[in-house]
Amino acid sequence: MSTYLEFAVLGLGLATVYVGLGTGLLLVYRATGIVNFAQGAMAMWGVYVYATLQESGLLVLPIGSIQVADERGMDVWPAVAVGLVNAAVLGVLVHYLVFRPVRRAPDLAQVVVSIGLMITLQALAVIRFGPNHVPVESLFENDYVEVFGATLSQREMVMAAVMVVLALGVWAYLRFTYSGAATRAASENERGAVLMGFNPDRLALVAMVMGALVSTAGVLMASTLTGLSPGNYTLMVVPALAVLLIARLESIGAVVLGGLALGIFQSELSLIAAKPWWPVWAKSGLDQVVPFIVIMLILFVLGKRLPARGSLQSVRLPDVALPRFRPVPIAVMLAIAVTLILVLDDTYRFGFTTSLIISLLALSYVVITGYLGQISLAQAAFAGVAGFALAKVTASWAMPFPLAIVLCALVATLFGVAVALPAFRIRGVQLAIVTVAAALAIERFVFGNYSLTPPSGNPIGKPELFGISFAVREGRDLARPEFSFMVLAVVTLVIVMFVRIARGDTGRAFLAVRANERAAASAGIDVRRTKLMGFGVSAFIAGVAGTLLGYSHGQLSADSFSLVVGLQVFAFAYLGGITSFGGALVAGMLGPLGLIYTAMHAWFEMGDYYHLISGLALILTAILNPSGIAGETKHQIAWVRKRAGRSRSTGAPDVEEPPAEVAQERKAEHV
Amino acid sequence: MSESGLVTRGLTVRYGGVVANDSIDLEVRPGTVVGLIGPNGAGKTTLVDAVTGFTQAEGAIELNGRSLAAMPPHRRKAQGLTRTWQSAELFGELTVEENLLVSAREIGFRSLVRDVFGTSRGGSVDHALEAVGLMAVRDVLARDLTLGQQKLVGVARALAGRCDLLLLDEPAAGLDSNESLELGEQVRSIARSGPGILLIDHDMSLVLNVCDLVYVLEFGKMIFHGTPAQARVDAAVAAAYLGSPMEEADA
Repeated sequence: MSTYLEFAVLGLGLATVYVGLGTGLLLVYRATGIVNFAQGAMAMWGVYVYATLQESGLLVLPIGSIQVADERGMDVWPAVAVGLVNAAVLGVLVHYLVFRPVRRAPDLAQVVVSIGLMITLQALAVIRFGPNHVPVESLFENDYVEVFGATLSQREMVMAAVMVVLALGVWAYLRFTYSGAATRAASENERGAVLMGFNPDRLALVAMVMGALVSTAGVLMASTLTGLSPGNYTLMVVPALAVLLIARLESIGAVVLGGLALGIFQSELSLIAAKPWWPVWAKSGLDQVVPFIVIMLILFVLGKRLPARGSLQSVRLPDVALPRFRPVPIAVMLAIAVTLILVLDDTYRFGFTTSLIISLLALSYVVITGYLGQISLAQAAFAGVAGFALAKVTASWAMPFPLAIVLCALVATLFGVAVALPAFRIRGVQLAIVTVAAALAIERFVFGNYSLTPPSGNPIGKPELFGISFAVREGRDLARPEFSFMVLAVVTLVIVMFVRIARGDTGRAFLAVRANERAAASAGIDVRRTKLMGFGVSAFIAGVAGTLLGYSHGQLSADSFSLVVGLQVFAFAYLGGITSFGGALVAGMLGPLGLIYTAMHAWFEMGDYYHLISGLALILTAILNPSGIAGETKHQIAWVRKRAGRSRSTGAPDVEEPPAEVAQERKAEHV
Repeated sequence: MSESGLVTRGLTVRYGGVVANDSIDLEVRPGTVVGLIGPNGAGKTTLVDAVTGFTQAEGAIELNGRSLAAMPPHRRKAQGLTRTWQSAELFGELTVEENLLVSAREIGFRSLVRDVFGTSRGGSVDHALEAVGLMAVRDVLARDLTLGQQKLVGVARALAGRCDLLLLDEPAAGLDSNESLELGEQVRSIARSGPGILLIDHDMSLVLNVCDLVYVLEFGKMIFHGTPAQARVDAAVAAAYLGSPMEEADA
């Protein structure tokens, strides 16, 4: 029994993070209506500043650094103070530069912006503080107390107590101060609050700063136990989102209780999972499976009763122009692709082939988000499911390759449909939360699970048809053209399938559901079934991409399909234009390990900056130009044709950058 | 009951403690236009929502002898029960024709397979476009139309596909008197082509001139039903309208 008590206390360390991030998330949500996926990443920054100051006396800023104390390092408490000041400044910057410009934008743009911020901060942390795990100096003396025969760690208890006091401070702010009351009022009814003379903008600023401080405090205390790396606390936002949902996005008290309960529960679970009777296959990834289950349960139980936030107005999703088959542009594009495959050297050919595959992954986002209007962040996980299935079927059953692709993509479809089930009751940001949690759970529980996917590797059989090998490598040849042509053929087929669906009855139904679910139902559309079909189709496309990635790597690991990869592809899909397959092609060229990436890497040695640029570009796109590069180009072509005396746009999606003045114009109508 | 057309018996809708529709009995025969009028907040739109499945209701709802009470909205539509909305609720980024096609084609696994491997077959929407005189704008984006045209597209969308009974929720609101007259003509001619129509509107002259029968709702209760001529002289109807409608907010 005493062991359980000891583990409960150890769980308070995790609980401190959950309460800190949960409180910050809640404050920001109440004040701005934005669910900040970057809350963990923002909190991480101040802690890094603290850790470096304390270690070496160096104050690291986003650009440049200042030696503020001697090289033996600063004392703990002044360093904490400087770290918190940095966190507050970051909160101010994020408010003005990132969230304020999208305060009236649709859910999608807000989710995109916060994900862009998360990618940016994580990339910046890698650049400024290095990719390695660093230890963080403790704030509190560690002592043990004996209670009921259990030896309890005092540090965790002190941390949790401090965190609860901070959360109570936030509660008191919301409950007892004039601005706190106004924040609550504004989150119920922003129009009303404006008419009453409140300035929601200033309230949002205060909430951003306060949220950043509380979250940073939580991560700071907890990181003294675990150390700090650019990734670990960034993704802590997922369990914190579970806590936010437990609190129904309303109550600080529930955040505190939920955070404590979740932290303690996970700690106890790790104790129980060590028992001999606990099945081996269920040991891995429990830390991410639990929040996912919590999120699913809450959404099923509370469902529609989660409060929706009334806002002043919203901007439409980017328009969809139905794709058309035009022989000439298609022939030109195919000719360019074939030429590239033949002309490029191994490195670039591999980059280009990867780009083609990433295009498919991006296309799956076009289906689910661009056409159906649902935010799914789990597409890379669906691709991964297909990839690992491919390892199984080619290794154990020696299944021939085109059949294996279809079968494995169908397995991914099953997962997609399963994740879609909660989409019946929820939409928008809440769906983004579910899918992000699902992606992380699948990543940790399935891909990272050694009893399902052995650490010795998951080799994938070589694709072969009619005696011709389409393997990517053979002998010293590392990127065979045969493989690239096979990928090109598969990608073309899938795009043709997509275009036929998009132009057909089904695509029209997707758009109807996206536009207006109620009206769609009155026009005879089964909204649930349509959403299931959308998730199924998009997971199928992602699955095909996953199998192709599998063939191209020849070997899979959990990292091949991580959540971060998925978010990056989502970022580029949005950047390219989330509503067209042209956008997906742009996304493929820009995407991780693709052609542009390869070039940047080779010319500038800019691997780290690539992530930073992708994050920044995503934020800028969401703010300035929600229809993406392909969409923007289409606008310009339409405009030029109108000038030339032709009425209707027939321009093919292109990959040029839009001229700055047009982007400016659109910004003006957006703000 | 084996009557054709729409029949409701004891249809009741409660919002918390408020009874928005109190045991409504209503009939709409095929080929007839039935009006439903009442002051603001009388529960007219609630009745449409209840009949079409957009709000929870008790009581019986039958179309051509088949009970619809347990069906979700899209299945009631498949049975031939269609509706329009007060605020048009079109799919703005689709063209007029596409708006109608959404309603005319059945969507499911089969449509998906057909989209990928075959060619789309299914109802043309020309008859619906012609019925409301919108052939000229079929390729225009719905959101680029005038309000009056948008309302007509709403009607046409309800007519596309199977339509045995059409519920029009304030189709004339926001139209000028000429457009309103024209709408009345179109409503009559749609009814002549077969379906029954339940017309809800504030425009008394439209309702009284176009309808074969009129129901009057007040505070969720049916206080009158009869011919337009009877409605004009009925004391209860006059009281409901000349009373103090200002007290009520529209639903």
